[in-house]
Amino acid sequence: MDDRRGNVQSSEQKEEMKKVQEKTTKRRNKEKEELGDEQILNLNNEPPEEDEDLSDSEDSVYSGLEDSGSDSEEDEEDGSDGDVTVDSEQTHQAEEKKNMTEVKRKDDEYEHDSSDEEDIRNTVGNIPMEWYRDFPHIGYDLDGKKIYKPIRNKDELDDFLDKMENPDYWRTVHDNQTGSVIVLSDEQVELVNRLQRGQFGDINFNEYQPSVEYFSSDVMIHPVTNRPEDKRSFIPSLVEKEKVSKLVHAIKMGWIKPRRVEDNSRGTFYDLWASEDSSILSKHRMHLPAPKIPLPGHNESYNPPPEYLFTDEERALWEQQDPSDRKLPYVPMKFSSLRQVPAFPRFIHERFERCLDLYLCPRQRKMRVNVNPEDLIPKLPKPKDLQPFPTVQSLVYRGHSSLIRSISVSPSGQWLASGSDDGTVRIWEVCSSRCMKTIQVGGAVKTVTWNPNPAVCLLAVALNSVVLILSPALADRQVVSSSERLLLGDQEAEAAEDTGAVWSEAEGEELNQGIRLKVHHPKAVHQVVWHAKGDYLASVMPDNSSHLQVLIHQLSRRRSQNPFRRNKGLVQCVSFHPVRPYFFVATQRSVRIYNLVKQEMTKKLQANSKWISSMAVHPGGDHVICGSYDCRLSWFDLDLSTKPYKMLRHHKKAVRGVAYHRVYPLFASASDDGSVIVCHGTVYNDLLQNPLIVPVKVLRGHVMTHDLGVLDVTFHPTQPWVFSSGADNTIRLFT
Amino acid sequence: MSQLQARFFTENKRYVVDDVPFSIPAASEVEELSSVINQLLLAKDVDFDFLVRGQFLRTPLSFHMETEGISTVRHRSYDKTARIWSVEGKPVMTVAGHTDVVKDVAWVKREGLTSLLLTASLDQTILMWEWNSERNKVKARHCCRGHTGSVDTIATDPTGSKFCSGSWDKMLKIWSAVPSDEADEVEGPPDRPRKKQKTQQLGLTRTPIMTLSGHNEAVSSVLWCDTEEICSASWDHTIRVWDVETGGMKTTLTGNKVFNSISYSPLCRRLASGSTDRHIRLWDPRTKDGSLVLLSLSSHTGWVTAVKWAPAHEHQLVSASLDNLVKLWDTRSCKAPLYDVAAHEDKVFCVDWTESALLLSGGADNKLYTYRYSACQTDAGA
Repeated sequence: MDDRRGNVQSSEQKEEMKKVQEKTTKRRNKEKEELGDEQILNLNNEPPEEDEDLSDSEDSVYSGLEDSGSDSEEDEEDGSDGDVTVDSEQTHQAEEKKNMTEVKRKDDEYEHDSSDEEDIRNTVGNIPMEWYRDFPHIGYDLDGKKIYKPIRNKDELDDFLDKMENPDYWRTVHDNQTGSVIVLSDEQVELVNRLQRGQFGDINFNEYQPSVEYFSSDVMIHPVTNRPEDKRSFIPSLVEKEKVSKLVHAIKMGWIKPRRVEDNSRGTFYDLWASEDSSILSKHRMHLPAPKIPLPGHNESYNPPPEYLFTDEERALWEQQDPSDRKLPYVPMKFSSLRQVPAFPRFIHERFERCLDLYLCPRQRKMRVNVNPEDLIPKLPKPKDLQPFPTVQSLVYRGHSSLIRSISVSPSGQWLASGSDDGTVRIWEVCSSRCMKTIQVGGAVKTVTWNPNPAVCLLAVALNSVVLILSPALADRQVVSSSERLLLGDQEAEAAEDTGAVWSEAEGEELNQGIRLKVHHPKAVHQVVWHAKGDYLASVMPDNSSHLQVLIHQLSRRRSQNPFRRNKGLVQCVSFHPVRPYFFVATQRSVRIYNLVKQEMTKKLQANSKWISSMAVHPGGDHVICGSYDCRLSWFDLDLSTKPYKMLRHHKKAVRGVAYHRVYPLFASASDDGSVIVCHGTVYNDLLQNPLIVPVKVLRGHVMTHDLGVLDVTFHPTQPWVFSSGADNTIRLFT
Repeated sequence: MSQLQARFFTENKRYVVDDVPFSIPAASEVEELSSVINQLLLAKDVDFDFLVRGQFLRTPLSFHMETEGISTVRHRSYDKTARIWSVEGKPVMTVAGHTDVVKDVAWVKREGLTSLLLTASLDQTILMWEWNSERNKVKARHCCRGHTGSVDTIATDPTGSKFCSGSWDKMLKIWSAVPSDEADEVEGPPDRPRKKQKTQQLGLTRTPIMTLSGHNEAVSSVLWCDTEEICSASWDHTIRVWDVETGGMKTTLTGNKVFNSISYSPLCRRLASGSTDRHIRLWDPRTKDGSLVLLSLSSHTGWVTAVKWAPAHEHQLVSASLDNLVKLWDTRSCKAPLYDVAAHEDKVFCVDWTESALLLSGGADNKLYTYRYSACQTDAGA
């Protein structure tokens, strides 16, 4: 290192440094000699020498210092340092002597320990040397004299020059304890290097000497020690016995308790979620974990069992199928070895699908309100609470020989008129089911209706193209006479020309039967209906191609008129409003309401059914029910909408007739399935409250004949009784 | 509990048993009880009925139906005539005069050879006839006009001086039942049809003494509770009690179905009503609130068209129904009738008792049946 430095230095410096170097080398050489002597001397001291006189006090003092952990290197230096720097011969010798004694003593204790004891000349002990910084001395020697600091007037420059010039500068160390400078010898440097390398300090020491194995795997013939076993090894120990008996006594007395078995160790864990509030818990509960990837099966193996491999048909099928329909997204393949398995071509695709699964699939539990669907249905009152309504069949009116198309109850409720296909009109007493009168009219009767006016007793009968007005004379004499007077009427007002209706009076036998008037129509009459006052009646002649479908007749003046100029569709049935001058006309799909006074259409109701069969107007006049051939019954609230307020689909077959009760909140529908369904229909005066419609009773009794069941239905005017006429030639009364 | 202690009592002295408690097997039925009593009495086989605390021990018993007797019976019919029948089954007399269906008939007086009877008809009139049983002649004495609807029911008062009629025109009218020789003036419009009517009229015209109005519907049945009280049932679901003196209404009993018939028993002072809801209800007409049903007898399957209390027995009543049955009831066993009489082939419209405890029933099969009810009973109290 020095050489290199030297090369680097400038020539002037070199010259200066040479001088210094010369000085130092002189000094070094001298020191070297001394050090080498001492070293040799030290080494010579190696052979063990026993029994040297030692002062105990010294030993104890220095053995304590030995523990202070100073380096052997430092010791070495100290030792050499002392040799070099101390001027007085005396001290030097004394040191030498002491050193030797120490080594000898060490040899005593540790035969193979070659480390030498540190050479201590300063007796201040192991104190920080800074304490002596301000003193001229640095401590005291063994004789108690001050060890003076070396006179050093070396400043930084000197130090630098020394560094430049002195080739031994690198091996010069400063002894703090004595304040002197020591130049290490080659051996010492070597020793330092060895120690730094972690090698043993002594060169001659062989670390790898063959070891003597005292204990080996080989079974020896002789024991390691031949010493016989002690007697005490055979005798139970009295001490132990005493100890055990003490313990037993303590256990018996309960002073010592056996270690408790911790059986509840599992119960005392820390409840991490104890302080968790329920909202977070519920959030966790809503969480759904990601779907797991299905584990690979045999068919994904590189060498699957042969049954997993595709046959030709399976492969063909797999290829034909749409990728989304395939059961497996790949074809199982067989390879002879794993080496031949190619790269996985679907890797990206599969990862992509997995990612889609993970983040596109909504993994959250739907907050579905668990409501019983029946709870959502508004609570309808029980039919039991809606009494009275007809429940059982009470009377059967037998006598007709063909199906009964129409029935009507007299306004007093005493008589029932029925018109049948056998060409008769029969009048029955309601309470006894006795046929009071049979009137031969000579044609299948389409409609019979009593005049709703209780002051007259008249019956309108529609058959073929004639409307007959009958006076059955089944009332008070005054009523009969008033109805006869009404029929006599103003005869001068003869038939109007444009309608084609011809009025004529009955004669002879017909007069005896009660037929009073005949109104001949140009076409077949389907229905006839009275106005509530009993003077007007309307007749329907369904004809799709003509505007002459409805005629309104005035009985007192024997006049007919056609209210409509234009054909608006096939008219099914008509009805008068019970109080106001309105006229309801039901065509196949809709109901039109006309104002007869203003002569204009006020409303058009869409029935939402294919073919209206029948219609009834609520006695209040604000509600209409329509039965249709497609099994429906639609309830219209005229104040609410032109669409049905409610559609009832209770019938299995076409609805033939509908009727309202005049007093009770009841309505009934008759159907081809042979049943009459009675519904409760309360109408409120409050405009905000919608009608309450509850089906209350299915009335059966009619026998199905020619696929026809019940043809007409009507209510008793005062009692909650319903009459139904059927294709089985009977009329039945349900009460 | 296999043995019971029982004592047997009877009113019939023939069958009196010692008043000693007997130990009877608890499972024994009526036949066994009868045989026990037969053995006690050393009698031949006599069937007994047993009443336990006012209730019959069992109801079904073979029914003896005999037509036998002497007294006369009259019958209403739908062929515009009334007939007088002897109970032997022969029509004695046919009374023909009405222009329309006869709805009800009633005796006014049956003394000696001549008797008075009334017929109410759908032609809105009531005819009073005098029948001489010796000569078997009948003569129309009075034609009672005033109703404007068919007269459905008539009833004579206990004294036989008045009768009451109920009509479809919702009115009750009280007429004098005493035959007289002068005709009352008709207050009606004396115009043209009067002349015609007069020619057709049988007997002298009579007008009502009093008109009671209050019913909202047709009056279906009327009867006299006593001489001053009329009870009427109507289709307006009410039974009303009227005071004849004042013509005012005293009590209203409200049901919820149409009443077809009522009957009053002076023995037990109860009213029985038959209505269209197939039940027979018993009422106390003296209650003021009028909504109290004492008992309801339900076994019929059709409208109950007629009920009638037994004239001599305070617990028995008979009912007719549209289900072709006549039932005999005892109010002490309200669950089931004593007897079902299945004689009619069609609807039964009326029933009545004769004075000699015969049962009569008429129906839509145009037959009038007479039954004798053999009432041999042994009352047993336990």
